[in-house]
Amino acid sequence: MKAQSAGIRKTGAAAGALTGFLLLALVLPRFYLYLLSLILATGLLATSLNLVLGFGGMYQFHHSVFYGVGAYCLALILTRSGLPAWIGYLAAPLAASVLGLVMGLLTVRLSKLYFGMLQISLGSLVWAIVYRWYSFTGGDDGIHGIPVPELIGTSTGAYVFAVLVTAASLAVMYCIVSSPFGMTFAGIRDNPERCRAVGIDVTAHQLAGQVLAAFFAGVAGTLFVTVEGSVFPDMMFWTLSLEILIMCLLGGWFTFFGPMLGAAIIVMLRTVVGIYTEYWTLVLGLVLILLIFFLPEGVLGILQKGRQAGGKDAAGN
Amino acid sequence: MDSGGITVAALMQQVLVGLSRTTILFIVSSGLSLVLGVLRIPNVAHGSLYMIGAFVTYSVASFFGQTTAGFIIALAVAPLVVAAVSLVLERGLLCHLYDREHLMLLLFTFAFTLVFGDLVKMIWGSDYRSLSAPAIVQGSFDLGGFPFPRYSLFLLVMGPLVALGLWLLTNKTKIGKIARAAAVDREMVDAIGIDVSKVFAAVFVIGCYLAGLGGALVAPTQNITQGMDHTIIIEAFLIVIIGGLGNIWGALLGAAIFGLTDAIGILIWPQFAIVFPYTAVVIVLLIRPRGLLKAIW
Amino acid sequence: MQRLSVCLFLALSLLIVPFTTAPAAAKTITVGIVDCYSGPPSTYTNDVRDAFKMEIDRINAAGGVLGRKIEFVTRDSKFKVDIGLAAAKELIYRKNVDIMMGTINSALALAISDMCRKEKVPFLVTFAKSAKITGAKGHDYVFSITENTALAGKAGAVGLAKKPYLKYWIAGDDYEYGHAIADAVWNNLKKLKPGVTLLGQSWWKVGEPDFTPYITAILSARPDAVIVATGGRDCVPFLKAAKATGFTKRVPFYMHTATELSTLKPLGLNAPEGVIGTSNYFFYYPRTPENEAFVKRFEAAYKRKPAVGAIYGLLAARFISRAYQKAGKVKPKAFIKAMEGMTVDSPVGKVTMRACDHQAMLPMFMGTTKKAPGYDFLIADDIVTIAGKDVMPDCAEIARQRKK
Repeated sequence: MKAQSAGIRKTGAAAGALTGFLLLALVLPRFYLYLLSLILATGLLATSLNLVLGFGGMYQFHHSVFYGVGAYCLALILTRSGLPAWIGYLAAPLAASVLGLVMGLLTVRLSKLYFGMLQISLGSLVWAIVYRWYSFTGGDDGIHGIPVPELIGTSTGAYVFAVLVTAASLAVMYCIVSSPFGMTFAGIRDNPERCRAVGIDVTAHQLAGQVLAAFFAGVAGTLFVTVEGSVFPDMMFWTLSLEILIMCLLGGWFTFFGPMLGAAIIVMLRTVVGIYTEYWTLVLGLVLILLIFFLPEGVLGILQKGRQAGGKDAAGN
Repeated sequence: MDSGGITVAALMQQVLVGLSRTTILFIVSSGLSLVLGVLRIPNVAHGSLYMIGAFVTYSVASFFGQTTAGFIIALAVAPLVVAAVSLVLERGLLCHLYDREHLMLLLFTFAFTLVFGDLVKMIWGSDYRSLSAPAIVQGSFDLGGFPFPRYSLFLLVMGPLVALGLWLLTNKTKIGKIARAAAVDREMVDAIGIDVSKVFAAVFVIGCYLAGLGGALVAPTQNITQGMDHTIIIEAFLIVIIGGLGNIWGALLGAAIFGLTDAIGILIWPQFAIVFPYTAVVIVLLIRPRGLLKAIW
Repeated sequence: MQRLSVCLFLALSLLIVPFTTAPAAAKTITVGIVDCYSGPPSTYTNDVRDAFKMEIDRINAAGGVLGRKIEFVTRDSKFKVDIGLAAAKELIYRKNVDIMMGTINSALALAISDMCRKEKVPFLVTFAKSAKITGAKGHDYVFSITENTALAGKAGAVGLAKKPYLKYWIAGDDYEYGHAIADAVWNNLKKLKPGVTLLGQSWWKVGEPDFTPYITAILSARPDAVIVATGGRDCVPFLKAAKATGFTKRVPFYMHTATELSTLKPLGLNAPEGVIGTSNYFFYYPRTPENEAFVKRFEAAYKRKPAVGAIYGLLAARFISRAYQKAGKVKPKAFIKAMEGMTVDSPVGKVTMRACDHQAMLPMFMGTTKKAPGYDFLIADDIVTIAGKDVMPDCAEIARQRKK
């Protein structure tokens, strides 16, 4: 009974938030819509990373490869094939998840730092191919002026599309995290040996997590293409992967909405501080240092902990 | 091409060039390995310290008019400056964070790369900086018909010296032995009344000193610019991982694999030389998931 | 959950607050500049911005344009396309800039160019070298006031065709710029001098730590001359390696940016002599009163000699102010019409904006590095001027590229 009403309350809040975000399209000036779209795309990417990082405890160091592959897949279908756009939007996340499966098969038996470094090497190989293959991917110049369908080609259209897709993706990811699969997945994070001992196929679960995370990273990639109309190899360089890792940790990687908040903070900081000073990375660095020193569980982690003070420790360290 | 084939002399020369590159990679990554192995800090700021080492070398050597004596003084001073910076960093901030998650420490040191990057820009500006090698190691000599830079030979001599020094430090001194013990079981070392915190500080400073030394040694061969930190840090991490975490000899082996695959890749398939080292890492990790040599943890 | 979304919302709106400042006053012309001001590229871009500012200050002191002052705002792209693109959108959407300017990164220039086409804001490219900007991807709203790989390549070929070399080797940075410039030199050279042969090629990654192995490979093939297609940060270490291995003494080579002040100054007197290079500008050439006056003003303002970027900054300021003056109003369409075919004075002589492709017709100077009394770095000597019209691809060719 209690669980049911909590479920209804959650659904209500989600519907309210969705309506609120959609209404913003009517009142906000273009630039803020653009900024919000960018935050949503980046936030979705960070949330998909957190699926394996926070909930799976896997050191996913090169997540942006899946984002880039999704984006490139859509961009290439829109610019080079005569296929209808919706095929591109479907194919992009699938391409990302296929890459996720292939890389997962190679990396999944390694643990922690070793896993992360093998992923960086494999991801760098993918990056090198995209960077070098001028005739197909446009090389380091990238592809620009991608013909996005007219309906979602305007700032408002792109924003509404970003809100809807992000909402749907978040809902699905939320269901995954709270499903029996998600529970087992988190169990593997906390104690892989014990899970193995009770007969859980740890490798299969981690592999499935990889594929799912890659899929949603691919979805985020399509959002980026819709919002910016450009793709370039920077999107799959390891520095971007580190940046989204930071978004997760900053927002709170044991929470569901933390990465989204982290993405919002970083994108905002970058834009706002960038207006006032050339030295915005210095400011960003100092803010990060202070945050880590005083808020080790991320912003949302602290907020949630405050709420649950005295209750059960959800953010188990 | 007049012959098309790869001559023995060309291969020899390429191997030597690869080994001189190995020296720099080894010095930098052994420092990273030490910090990662003993303190368990994935210090991303290691690359920034390498960059600072190169810039300080440039400034000190230029202060003495880029003479041979000036270069030697710079070679001595720059790593010490870097070590001093790292001491402040460790005692002031890092020592309070040892019990944090690895990922948090990674993020924390990454924040420092941002700060150091902008500080370097403020202090040294954005012009390219170039430092000449001292007169005795300038130019090149003939090696079976190919020119081989004297400075590369100098690096080939420096590499084994540093390796020997590190081996003596970790195996023959008390602090080295404590550090190795603390890497395996920190509580145990604490329990027998040794101040582990001080040992950790010393190891961190030594590791960062090596980053500074790498930067100082590389300075005469390269353009000293912002962005040097990015290139080296990813290579150093990969080397440490394939060599075996915290294992000095592993770092040497990893650096050699990296330096040689790159140099030989250039000879046999220049268009795709860029992918050779990464492919080597992938192969090593697929065959030996925990690195080639025994990792400390 | 509810409280969470409220928190999220509050945080978002708090962060938005700093944005709600009023847009710039209506009675100015605002120029938005996005460029990379950190890392190695800034050694070029700072000169663009500083020379631009110097000239704008002069124009404003003389009463501005159409009774309005010219203002400009800069944003640092950090050499990242996504950051630069977001900054450009901020300038256009929020600051409502009248005109955009920048950048040294070709990928970013192409991205901004496409956005400016959609937003109908004129965009002046000041450093990016991709020939696609005013070539295949050109449109009404984009202008280039810098040489590009096609122009530099043709200039290099014109210069090299006069030399006696027949057997060539090509080496360079393995990215778009390197390949484009090498192709342009080679294709033009083959046309001008059909007897040339290519012995082989080698390409290195940007930021290559050691050039010795490549140099060895080149030397073992014994070419007459080498075309080195490298730019930016690799120029300095490559020249260093060339000197250390004695490469320059054995084989002459052409490297587009070899004579650039930004390349030669850091090397001091240790730079190799006899390297052939091309550039749009030297502070010591041409020796005209106009150039001398410009150098004097630049030195007085910034305590350093102007490098090639300065000429682009100066030209940008002159083109913008004259075009608005001629148009008589601050409207994009009128500005574009005024720009087309317009000629302005500059330290390198008269420069015309070609109407068909919006590419400024800049002269190119080919010279050879040499020590010279009075300088503590090498300068270009034996300078040959190649007129802008001689290196431009013809309009029909541009039209063909754009149609594709």
